[in-house]
Amino acid sequence: MSLADMKVTRPVASAKRQQRLNVLRGLTLLLLLVLLWVLLSFATPTFLTSANITNLMRQAALGAIIAVGQTFVIITGGIDLSVGAIVGLSSTVVSILLKSGLPVWTAVALTMALGPIIGAFHAFGILKMGLPPFIMTLATLTGLRGVGLLLTNGQTITGLPPEFVDFSRQSFLALPILFWMMVIVGIPAYLLLHHTVWGRYVYAVGSNAEAARLSGVSISKTIYLVYITSATCATFAGVLTASRIGVGVATTGEGWELESIAAAVIGGASLFGAIGNISGPLLGSVLLTTIGNGANLLNVNPFWQRIITGALIILIVWFDQMRRSNRR
Amino acid sequence: MSRSSDSQNGRVLSDLSVSTSPDTGVALPILELRKLGKKFSGTHALKEIDLAFISGEIHAIVGENGAGKSTLIKILTGALERTSGEIFSNGVPLSLGSPAQSLELGIDAVHQEVVLCGHLSVAANLFLGTERTRFGLLKQSDMVRKAQQVLDNFGFDLPSVTVPLNTLTIGQQQLVATARAAARGARFLIFDEPTGYLTRSETDQLFALIRRLNAAGTTIVYISHRMEEIFELADRVSVLRDGRIVSTRLVSETNIDELIRDMVARSIEEVHHKEEVQLGDVLLEVEGLSGPGFENVSLKVRRGEIVGLYGLIGAGRSEFAQTLFGRTARSAGVIRINGKELIANNVNDAIKAGIALLPESRRDQGLCLNLDVRFNLALPSLRRLSTGGFVNARKEDALAQRQIENLGIVTSSATEKVFNLSGGNQQKIVIGKWLHHGAELFIFDEPTVGVDVGTKVQIYKLFAELLRHGAGIIIISSYLPEVYDLADTLHVFRKGGISATFPAKAVHHETVLGKAIGN
Repeated sequence: MSLADMKVTRPVASAKRQQRLNVLRGLTLLLLLVLLWVLLSFATPTFLTSANITNLMRQAALGAIIAVGQTFVIITGGIDLSVGAIVGLSSTVVSILLKSGLPVWTAVALTMALGPIIGAFHAFGILKMGLPPFIMTLATLTGLRGVGLLLTNGQTITGLPPEFVDFSRQSFLALPILFWMMVIVGIPAYLLLHHTVWGRYVYAVGSNAEAARLSGVSISKTIYLVYITSATCATFAGVLTASRIGVGVATTGEGWELESIAAAVIGGASLFGAIGNISGPLLGSVLLTTIGNGANLLNVNPFWQRIITGALIILIVWFDQMRRSNRR
Repeated sequence: MSRSSDSQNGRVLSDLSVSTSPDTGVALPILELRKLGKKFSGTHALKEIDLAFISGEIHAIVGENGAGKSTLIKILTGALERTSGEIFSNGVPLSLGSPAQSLELGIDAVHQEVVLCGHLSVAANLFLGTERTRFGLLKQSDMVRKAQQVLDNFGFDLPSVTVPLNTLTIGQQQLVATARAAARGARFLIFDEPTGYLTRSETDQLFALIRRLNAAGTTIVYISHRMEEIFELADRVSVLRDGRIVSTRLVSETNIDELIRDMVARSIEEVHHKEEVQLGDVLLEVEGLSGPGFENVSLKVRRGEIVGLYGLIGAGRSEFAQTLFGRTARSAGVIRINGKELIANNVNDAIKAGIALLPESRRDQGLCLNLDVRFNLALPSLRRLSTGGFVNARKEDALAQRQIENLGIVTSSATEKVFNLSGGNQQKIVIGKWLHHGAELFIFDEPTVGVDVGTKVQIYKLFAELLRHGAGIIIISSYLPEVYDLADTLHVFRKGGISATFPAKAVHHETVLGKAIGN
């Protein structure tokens, strides 16, 4: 039997095609985004104004930061439904701490500790109590929201220190500071997911947990890592949100969990795990924000906006799946 | 997961493998199991296993499904913890508490179903768990280069190490898994039915690799149902039955009959059971069928006939079956059942026309593993079992009981989860679910992969039973002795078409193989 039998040209061809498709998918999402921007620039006089673009970037950045964390969880085949509730809780906690007179950085640092604690709790529930990620984070989605409401007694916390509130309104190199915050989260996340051993293990656990385990990969450490990453990103987004809106409200971030999942999935992540990247949720988030922003400027009925967004999610992910199945 | 590594486990097996007992000067076994036991919720999977592996040998382990082979492997690779007994390496006790610990000691396993990450590249899989980094960042190009080197050294010709693993054939994946274990410094390598899904040429490549590793000093444990492989490869063979070691013999001093007697405690003729059945009318006629992965295939199946489709993996056999069954669309050709043209656009049409497909990967495609035996048996027939949309529980139960009895399915009850059954019993359920569905043409894709000798004979008897009732059977197999002995007509597939057709046992194995490879 000669080695010639092993020569199969198909895998090379399909791999190359797949690489092209990956590039193409990034491009098509980008193209779709550019197309939307061009259309909106012509359709409305207000879209391509610096005020609107700045506003859009700020909003997109917050969603993107959460979606980046969510993507880590999704690649392991899990889901984090609690991120919206974490945004609400962390925005109220940071507001309470600031009102109590703590210096801004201390208040922020203390609040940021919530992320690892909540994330570790999720991982504990999933690993030690054997709860499915969906249930574990569904429980904290409602539970953490309750904690925020209890802490504030349902009241809005106003009168945050100006240096805290001003932060989110600043710009750096002509771009809003919140955009830079997205970069600050995005670059380490990219390095972590695509260039470290941990990132590799995130994919390995999502692809075949048993294979990963038999390779000496610690599944529990990986699960802890992704849920802590997700909760920490959401906590950070919560602090930034408090700064942006200038008040602490326990109900902030309602529905953001679904938006972050949508952004990740539009960006090419698979809810079955092992597929996804960091640029995906960034683009997905900007796309979702643009749709909302554009619809507002075009005076589309907000009820219709929701329907349109839902339809677009189905369309985009459907196209993505068709492209992916074509490679077979 | 605990990664505790006690002092004696800090050493690698190879460090210990050449040591001799100070007292006697006789080489100590590289691994020795003493009174090893494993209990699962009260039942013993392994009972007082005493077994010694000599450094540098190829040691085969055989046994029926459920004899405890998988449990033994899992304990050695640290995937399961033993409940009693001791494990020694050259007289030094080992704890073997986690996969990481076993790997550290140089104990690794290659499984029948490739246990690697399909989404990751070949290179990433080779280095999974042992990635190379600089300042915490992966040295990706370094690992790709090194992976290429490893595969070159073993003489594989993979197109590229950066393609995702799941774009390779199963045979190629198996070779990657073996190379991976070797590259990680395995000194004690367990093969668990590695050739189940391999073609003969892929098997030969794997054997060459195993011999090469063995010559380099790696101790090999080889588990297989295929007796000829044991006699081809191994030095010693141990028989496992009901969680106990029954015998350990030199391969050169035993024969198949003796091993089978040990395995089943009764003698079975190791011939592929074949009954003569009178051929009837033409049941299936396929003319010029083309579809994804195959072209212009024509064949006939008569009632009472077994038609074998043999070929290498990827030759188009399974693809042909998928199209015949309506899973994939045909691009040309005609299918006639009982002389009537079948316009099968989907699986439902094919099932209604009396075709049943028993898929290759029964765990993935044939069964709902986490549901019970009754559910799985009744699934295709639910419509017949229900009135007004409501399933008649009594009828469902009766059907399940009848199949369990007829097929001799070993299960505690009809409500046992299929997941808990052995591979052979799972296969019986896959067959059983079609029996009372009115199917006439049965397509079996690799029907006896991972099935022990006793169950194989039962499955072959089942074939005969189907044929006597006027059914026609198509068997797709990569295992030539099986299709060769069973088929009344044997079609050889190569590169998406039929390259030769032979009547029963008209030519030698070598001729058939030649047609499959392209000589």
